Amino acid sequence: MFRVILYSQWKWSRFIIGLGTVAGFGLPILSVQSATRTGDHPLQAGELLQTIQSWGALYPVLAAALAVLVAIATWAPDHRGRHVHALTLPLPRWRYALLRFGAGLALLAPPVLAVLIGAGLATALAAIPAGLQGYPVALAARFALAVGVGYAVFFAISAGTTRTASAILLVIGALIVIQVVARVAAVDLDVVTRLQILLVNWPGPLAIFTGRWMLIDV
Amino acid sequence: MSNAIELQDLHYRAGKSFAFTNLNLHVPTGSIYGFLGPNGSGKTTTIRVVLGLLRPRAGRVTVLGRDMPADAPSILARTGFVPEQPHLDPTLTVRETLRFQAAFYPSWDRTWAEQLLRSFDLDERLPFGRLSKGQKGKVMMLLALAQRPELLVLDEPTDGLDPVVRRDMLTALVDYVSQREATVFISSHLVHELERICDWVGVMDNGQLITELPMDRFKSGIKRLQVVQAPPDLAGTPFTLLARESNGGACESWIVRGWEPEMTMYFDGIGASLQTVIDLDLEEGFVELLRTFRAPRG
Repeated sequence: MFRVILYSQWKWSRFIIGLGTVAGFGLPILSVQSATRTGDHPLQAGELLQTIQSWGALYPVLAAALAVLVAIATWAPDHRGRHVHALTLPLPRWRYALLRFGAGLALLAPPVLAVLIGAGLATALAAIPAGLQGYPVALAARFALAVGVGYAVFFAISAGTTRTASAILLVIGALIVIQVVARVAAVDLDVVTRLQILLVNWPGPLAIFTGRWMLIDV
Repeated sequence: MSNAIELQDLHYRAGKSFAFTNLNLHVPTGSIYGFLGPNGSGKTTTIRVVLGLLRPRAGRVTVLGRDMPADAPSILARTGFVPEQPHLDPTLTVRETLRFQAAFYPSWDRTWAEQLLRSFDLDERLPFGRLSKGQKGKVMMLLALAQRPELLVLDEPTDGLDPVVRRDMLTALVDYVSQREATVFISSHLVHELERICDWVGVMDNGQLITELPMDRFKSGIKRLQVVQAPPDLAGTPFTLLARESNGGACESWIVRGWEPEMTMYFDGIGASLQTVIDLDLEEGFVELLRTFRAPRG
């Protein structure tokens, strides 16, 4: 069962996976290459860290993009058929959802591996100044975790019906309205910032996406 | 006689405009049950409840002797379904679709699937999304049959298809039923088509099951009578008078239900004369039944 579901999802998400794998492989190599191209002189530690940090912002973006697109592609065949085929298959609904989830997760493995290989190559081939070292495995592990968390969140959201999506939008809309009303009434209430802190700061579910993504660090 | 499908006192509401209340329906095991009704009468909703896609507010749904939706996976493993709208992954080819389906059904008959693929003249390399409506219908029927189900639930499977495709699909269905003695629950607008293959019939309108009986009783019980000099007020008719229309002069046309030949005596008693008794086919019977059901009750 897993094999046929994996194949069906592969047909929907192969372009995303292909692009994600190329980007995942290229990103660490490009980040180190761009630092070495800044001049003929040997790499300066400060300069290198600055370049690596600025490129580092792209890892969570790539992880989030992959997570969202693969999660959408995971449910796409079922949404197209209004879930009738899936719901008439002879297996419990939770098991079907688990198979879909697992297949999507398996398809995300190539981009994660590409980040690991790209990061490993980039750090192995670069002359890293003394006092600094490469963290390809840690970066790839963090990328894998970010992709996994993002995929799980968006898998759950995109599994929902139009009614669920409307409910989510309604909650977001209500929060904005509350915020605007609070500001107009000069009430000390900052719902949006609090929600952002709750989601993005540790132990919020999206904390993995924030902070510094450094391939080379002290 | 056991029932392959049994709905007991079913209550279901979809929004404000449509509801079932106290729906009772019985599909005898081994029968081919034709489920008739106009658009919006609740046929597809009933089928979705039977398959566990919708959950009723109250009542009991038993399919193949098990409770739906509690035992849904084991029921669905023994049930083939052809929906009104094809709902398969449009990116998979016919061959890939067959492989996908086979992975979920232990009873999948690979040899027969290949035979059906050939007899339906389907190109296995084409993606499902690029097939014509008729070809999609054939693929749906193939998938339902190749899993060797005990129960086939077909929701207007031949709607909008050309006569050749319809014939191919119904032939495959009848062949399967004769081999396997499976139960078929089939809804359709094409009344003549059902008349040929069904041995039971149920008629639904506005969320209510108007009638449910063997096809031969349904067809033989509904007649058009030509009556002369009938009095305006009738009392104690031994049959159900569905409709009464004047043909001009003293001649009237009556549509009756529950007709038996010995009931001709009744006309002598009321001073009228019965000229002819005409058999109605299923379509005429269906239309008259609906007309009577919808007529305002005085």
